[in-house]
This record gives sequence, structure tokens and C-alpha cells, in this order.
Amino acid sequence: MSERLWEILASSLPNLLLYCVKVTIPLTACIYALSLVLAFLLALVQVLNIRVLSGAARIYVWIFRGTPLIVQMYIIFFGLPSVGITLNAFPSAVIAFSLNYAAYMSETIRASIQAVPVGQTEAGYMIGLNYFQIMTRIVLPQAAKIAFPTLFGSLIGLTKDSSLAASITVVEMFKAAQQIAARTFEPLALYCEAALIYLMLNTALTLLQRYLEKRLSWKQPLTE
Amino acid sequence: MLEVKNLRCSYGANQVLKDINFRVDKGEVIAIVGSSGSGKTTLLRSISFLHKADGGTIRFFDFEKDITRLKGSEIRRLRMRLGYVFQNFNLFRNMTVRQNVMEGLVTARHMDRAEAEKITDAVLEKVDMLERADYYPDQLSGGQQQRAAIARSIAFRPDVLLLDEPTSSLDPELTREVLNILTQLAADGITMVVVTHEMGFARNVANRVIFMEGGVVVEDAPAAEFFNHPKQEATKRFLRTVTDDCG
Ligand SMILES: Nc1ncnc2c1ncn2[C@@H]1O[C@H](COP(=O)(O)OP(=O)(O)OP(=O)(O)O)[C@@H](O)[C@H]1O
Ligand SMILES: [Mg+2]
Repeated sequence: MSERLWEILASSLPNLLLYCVKVTIPLTACIYALSLVLAFLLALVQVLNIRVLSGAARIYVWIFRGTPLIVQMYIIFFGLPSVGITLNAFPSAVIAFSLNYAAYMSETIRASIQAVPVGQTEAGYMIGLNYFQIMTRIVLPQAAKIAFPTLFGSLIGLTKDSSLAASITVVEMFKAAQQIAARTFEPLALYCEAALIYLMLNTALTLLQRYLEKRLSWKQPLTE
Repeated sequence: MLEVKNLRCSYGANQVLKDINFRVDKGEVIAIVGSSGSGKTTLLRSISFLHKADGGTIRFFDFEKDITRLKGSEIRRLRMRLGYVFQNFNLFRNMTVRQNVMEGLVTARHMDRAEAEKITDAVLEKVDMLERADYYPDQLSGGQQQRAAIARSIAFRPDVLLLDEPTSSLDPELTREVLNILTQLAADGITMVVVTHEMGFARNVANRVIFMEGGVVVEDAPAAEFFNHPKQEATKRFLRTVTDDCG
């Protein structure tokens, strides 16, 4: 490899890391937090079978899972201004991603709640608990454990997918790499460098997942 | 103490309980026997309101009402006084044995924590599970889980303990463990209704035996009379098949 290439890589690395920390990670965190809350509400109204809301939630999931994320982003960022709603690129991306991810994640959460055996609920009733207590103390903790790997998978997917925000002009890590590549005419090196940073980020997340899964397990360390 | 009259129950078009009448008095141990599909589980579930009955009345001490007209608050109040032991235990998987027992005392009945702990230790001692109090259900054998489940439902001193085949998912050794506990509880004067296939237990521990077939009570008699002088032909047939099975 030429000396020039090394120099480009070395000088772009802090730049890319900066965009990773300043944009990619906050973008991912905002989206994930918002979609988790929304997904939980969507799942809950369906599980509780609240009349109008549960139907609305199902239609919501149908639409947002049935259309491409990038189209949703274009509608919000490029489309809505023509009806007088103009948002900056970053909030547009946050909204589009959150709406989309919430649809998927609500299905994960709903299925996990329904995967808790009905016998757990019945046993709760028979020791005198009410529905709210059964949900908060028995069903939801068990559902959380079931949902955890899949929901964490969504987080890992999201860190990568966040690069799609580049398409509506959000300058996150991938967009930054693109700009440097255009300036230096070294696309291969720059995109590989960006890929490597995503890989590192997700490696860290995977390790975190393993650690948390261990902490979540209902097993006593056996000391006998 | 507990009495149901004209209880009817169905799954869709399939009528499973047809006009059941029975009562439980304080201190009694009642064994409910009968072949598979005769409606024993459905009977326990409908008097615990886990399955909605089609008709009938329920009396509990001096409270009496049409079983289909109970309000949610009345159901909850009645359940507070019933213990239920499931065939497959249904211990809360996210809680240790101790937490399982505490839950009915602290969360459901708002008992003071220290007092609940004392009671929990005592019932776990009774079912010989104190050593494993901090284990999670998944770390226990079936027999241990069932003993923990029994502790959970006697901790709040229910007026009646309902048990649905508490030993049928256990192998013979573990079955003995659990039956010994139940025999002890009977000696302590705890009122029990036990659905069981264990004829030895029914004969030796129960005061009364109820034989069900096809959703009706065919025979309801004191245990000795039930086994030695059954009145109904169907009961005699049933007793022949079960004693043949056991050799
Ligand atoms: N969830 C259900 N849905 C539809 N039918 C059911 C359901 N549970 C039970 N039944 C039917 O009700 C009848 C009585 O069932 P039940 O479970 O009360 O019998 P059981 O006496 O407890 O039998 P076993 O000794 O096998 O436990 C059976 O014919 C069964 O097919
Ligand atoms: Mg049964």
C-alpha cells in the first residue's frame, strides 16, 4: 500500500470516529429509545385488546412493515414540505426510523408477551394477584427475557441501517466517509474503513448482549 | 363451607359438566376420581373461575350467588380464600421458590415483609424445601417444584386447597414425596379437594371419594364405603379397571 493511502486512512480515522460518536451513535440511541417506547405501547394495546386502539395498532403495523423504510424517509423529508411540514434531516430520520422500527419491534414484544404460558397468569390469579400485578410482576418480566435477544438484534441492525439516513442528507459516519472518498478518490479504502468501525461498534454491542443475557438468567449460581 | 349446585360447564358445543352438585365441609379431604375426560379438571377450574361456567350456584360460607353473575371483585375475594395446585406446578419462573411463596402474602395481601418471611420459612420447612428456597423453578425436580407450589398455596391459609392431579406428572419416587406432604397437610386439618389417580391415597387419606363420569357425579361416598361397598355399577367397573392396572 502506498504511503499516501496510509496517510488518508490515518487522517480520516479520527474524523470518522468523530462522526460515529457525534452522529451515528446519538441517532441510533434516539431511534432505539423512541421505537422501544412506541413498540411497547403498540404491543400492549393489542395484548389488552383495547377496542379501537388495538385495531389501529394492527393497521399501523401493516402499513409500516409493508412499505420500505427509505420510501418512508423520503415521504417525511422530501414529501411533507409540500404540505407545509418542513423538518430538518436529523429529526426526519429519527421519526421515519422510529415509526418503522416500532412496527417490527411491537411484533416481537407482542409475540413475547403471548409466549408466556397462560398457566403463569392463572397461578397469579389463584394466589390473589390482580391483572395489573400479574402483568407487571410475572408476565412482562418473563416476556422481556423472551424478547431480549430479538430486540437486541434490532439494535445491532439499527446501528448499520442508520447509514441509510445519508440518503436524506444526514451527515453521519457513512456520509462522512463518502465525502472523504469523493475528495481523495479512494472509495475502496474509505468504505472499508467505515465498515470496520461499524464492525467494532457491533462487536462491542454483541459482548454487551452476552453480558446482559447472563445477568438476566433466572439461575442461582450453584454453590455446592 | 363450599358448595356448588347444578353446575354446568361446556367447551363450545361440548357440554362437559352436567348438573354437578357437591359440597365440602371444613376439615374434609375429598378425592375426586374418574377416567380421563370425565370433567374433573373442568370442575376444579370452574369453581376457581378459571373457566366460565354456564350455570349453577356457588356458596362459600354464607355468601351464595349464581356463579355466572359474579362480579370481578367477588371473584377476587373468593379466590383469596382458595388455594390451587396445578398439575404442572406453574411456579413463577422469574422468581425463586421463596419469592413465589412471598408473592401471595406481600403483593396480594400486603402483609408486612418480616412477617411474610417468617410464614414463608415455616411453610417451606413443612414441605421440606427450605434448603432450596433460593433456587429458581428451572433448577428443581418436578417433585420439588410441586412441593414449592403446595407451599405457595398454603402460605396464605386458604379455606380450601384444590389440587388437580398433583402427582400425575411425577415419577413414582417423586409422587411419594408429594403424597407424604399431602398426608401431613390432611393430618393438620387442612381442607382439601384432590383430583387424583392414586387410589391408595384416596383410600387411606380421603374422608370422601367422588367418582365422576361423563360430566356427572356418579357416586359420592365416605372412602371406606366407596372402596368396599360401591353402590353404582359404573363405580364397580371403574374400581375393577384401576385395581387391575395396579396389579
Ligand atoms: N381447553 C379445552 N377446549 C375444549 N375442550 C376441552 C378443553 N379442556 C377439556 N376439554 C374437554 O372437556 C372434557 C373434560 O376435560 P377435563 O380436562 O375436565 O377432564 P379430566 O377429567 O380432568 O381428564 P384427565 O383425567 O385426563 O385430566 C374432555 O372431553 C375434554 O375433551
Ligand atoms: Mg384433568
